[in-house]
Amino acid sequence: MGSLTGTLSLAAQALEADQGALQVTSNNIANANTPGYSRQVAVFESAPTVTEGDLTFGQGVTLAQVQGIRDNVVELGVQQGLAQQGQVNSYLSSMNQVQSLFNETQGAGLQTPLSNFFEAFQNLSTDPTNTSLRQAVISAGQTLASAFNQAASGLSQVQSGLNTAIPQAVGQINQLTGQIAQLNGEVQSAQNSGANPSQLIDQRNNLIEQLSGLVGVNNITQSDGTVTLTTSNGALLVAGQQSYNLVTGTGPSGNTDVFSQQGTDITTNLTGGSLGGYIQARDGSNGVVAAEQSLDQLAYSVGNAVNSQQEAGYDGNGNLATNEPFFNLPANGSTGTASMISVALTDPSQIAASSAPPPATGDNGNALALANIENQPLPGLGGQSAINYYSNFVANVGTEVAQATNEQTAQDLVVQQLQNQKASISGVSLDEESANLIQYQTAYSASARVVNVINQIAQTALTLGQGS
Amino acid sequence: MRVVPSEMYSDLLANLQVDRQNVNQDVLEASSGKSVNNLSDNPVAAGQWVVSNAQIADVDQFSYSISTVQGSLNTADSALNSVVSSLTQAVSVGTEAAGGALSTSELQALGQQVDQIQQQVIGLANTTYQGNYVFAGTAVSTQPYSATGVYSGNTSVNSVQVGEGQTASLGLAGSTIFGAPATAGQPDLTFQYLSQLSSDIKSNNQSALATDIANVQSSLNNVIAQRSSYGDTLQQLNSEGTNLSQEKLTLQQYQTNLVSADIAQVATDLSQSQTTLQAAIAAAGQVTQESLINYLK
Repeated sequence: MGSLTGTLSLAAQALEADQGALQVTSNNIANANTPGYSRQVAVFESAPTVTEGDLTFGQGVTLAQVQGIRDNVVELGVQQGLAQQGQVNSYLSSMNQVQSLFNETQGAGLQTPLSNFFEAFQNLSTDPTNTSLRQAVISAGQTLASAFNQAASGLSQVQSGLNTAIPQAVGQINQLTGQIAQLNGEVQSAQNSGANPSQLIDQRNNLIEQLSGLVGVNNITQSDGTVTLTTSNGALLVAGQQSYNLVTGTGPSGNTDVFSQQGTDITTNLTGGSLGGYIQARDGSNGVVAAEQSLDQLAYSVGNAVNSQQEAGYDGNGNLATNEPFFNLPANGSTGTASMISVALTDPSQIAASSAPPPATGDNGNALALANIENQPLPGLGGQSAINYYSNFVANVGTEVAQATNEQTAQDLVVQQLQNQKASISGVSLDEESANLIQYQTAYSASARVVNVINQIAQTALTLGQGS
Repeated sequence: MRVVPSEMYSDLLANLQVDRQNVNQDVLEASSGKSVNNLSDNPVAAGQWVVSNAQIADVDQFSYSISTVQGSLNTADSALNSVVSSLTQAVSVGTEAAGGALSTSELQALGQQVDQIQQQVIGLANTTYQGNYVFAGTAVSTQPYSATGVYSGNTSVNSVQVGEGQTASLGLAGSTIFGAPATAGQPDLTFQYLSQLSSDIKSNNQSALATDIANVQSSLNNVIAQRSSYGDTLQQLNSEGTNLSQEKLTLQQYQTNLVSADIAQVATDLSQSQTTLQAAIAAAGQVTQESLINYLK
């Protein structure tokens, strides 16, 4: 048999639940523009029933929990999307710098100095004893050497920029993993004490998204509410309340490498985020280091071919030019050629234009042979001539940038889509919250009306039997 | 599907950025006149641009080489022209002497005339162009003919590249033109014949004069024959020069096709992308400010 006081307390409980729901709603409205905020919903449950004799009575409502609405799969998608976006962004910005060094369409690059150098020999062949034509060959050689030097120094600037950017990114990563580990602890203790961890999880997801922009992570949510984060190649970043700092140091190639806390070099295969982009731009198959090697190879092959042809001829004084190389080249191998190549000849008469001993001072055989190096396949350039090799190099750089640009456009769209999907699940809709507001307000008014009615009935009951 | 305002705003922003990027690209193409402003705009065209630029540089150099070579060949050719008239004159002097009935002093005068002709021809054989002896083979720095007509040049001749796979030889060695002597160290045949003619005229050796005149005549014929190769080369250079100008035009046309923007197309694209941008901006202004919250009382 139900009682008036029972009903009264039921109504009071309903008022309390509605107030709670109103608070959840107004919190949602307040956070409508908070980045990463997931909307929360009040979850009502009917209170346990009471059975008296044959009758079972409902005991009203309780506000069982406040639940944050999020989809972990979409969230993981967003994180991965951001990691790829971060990588392609930083890769592209480095490759754009490389591209501008060789932007032949705007007159930058090596084609003009390379052509001019060989044309100078061609020109010399028309009048091999002419001192000013000989001088022009030396000048063209100096221009070519300094064009190689400049291109090499441009590339090495990009490279050292990347070597500086890597420790900066790692510093930010360490800061974020520290904060994430701390939030792991807070989420865990909120969950243990039955509190609502939704906003802590939002904060943590926010930080993981920032982290993903810096480096790709694998994210595993544990049953205790904490997340375990590892890099794409398995180095541990966060486990429970513990974060593991990455460190940077000089790697075997003299570049700045990334090491796990245990000291393992994890640079190779580290993908995702700006850090992944920096590493790809530096060490990737079409990155800065590869470009430096191609340039070195070109300078070395051209330099060697010119030197051996020069040394086979007779100079302006009628001497065999065996000990008069045209270019200074590194003693062992091509490494560093582009940055150090310079003209060894100082006197125009040292150019070996003649292929015959004196008195054939006017012979032009060797000058022609030197000029023809331009279009000959050279050893070390994969059977290509210098110009064709360079043209392929230029086209490769362009292709790489074009591909990265397309990838960037695509990745921007993917991230946009995923973030919209996330917003559509977790974002605050003011229309929806307004509807909830009306709904809970009405329910609150109704429960208040119930209290009023019980009050009137109680008055009636108290005055029951009193005659009027 | 739930739609939340943040989606609308971020979509709007992203689209605006894409539209602005399109406008920028079109403005860049319209203002530079090029559709390839960066290697990445068209990597294949950029690669071809490099190769064709190098080809144009080659063509320019070949044209330049031709003009230099033409200067040298023209000098040699006009020297040989003078040699031809000198030798023709020597033949007629010889013929006059062979006519008989001439006094000793007249014969002496005719003999001296032949000596002068010989000196003239030797002088012509030592012609220079820009400091180089044009009939010295490749030993261009030393005077090829002594006063008696002994050749000290060599028999090699430079070739110059005047086109892709095209070479032109820079004239002929003096000994080819004036006839190498049977014994080294003697004057070239032309000069031997002239000396012989002169001495036979002076000594009135009538029986030898016919042979002498025939010898000088054969030298003259040889010079005329050799001179024609200069004419051939000059003609080859002329036509090669025309080919090169044509080739350069073709290459430039090719480059234009490679990287030039189609201005009409770009103008249309630009006005389209501007319209799109304006529409997007207008849409941004129209994003509804309406919300159920406005109706709560």
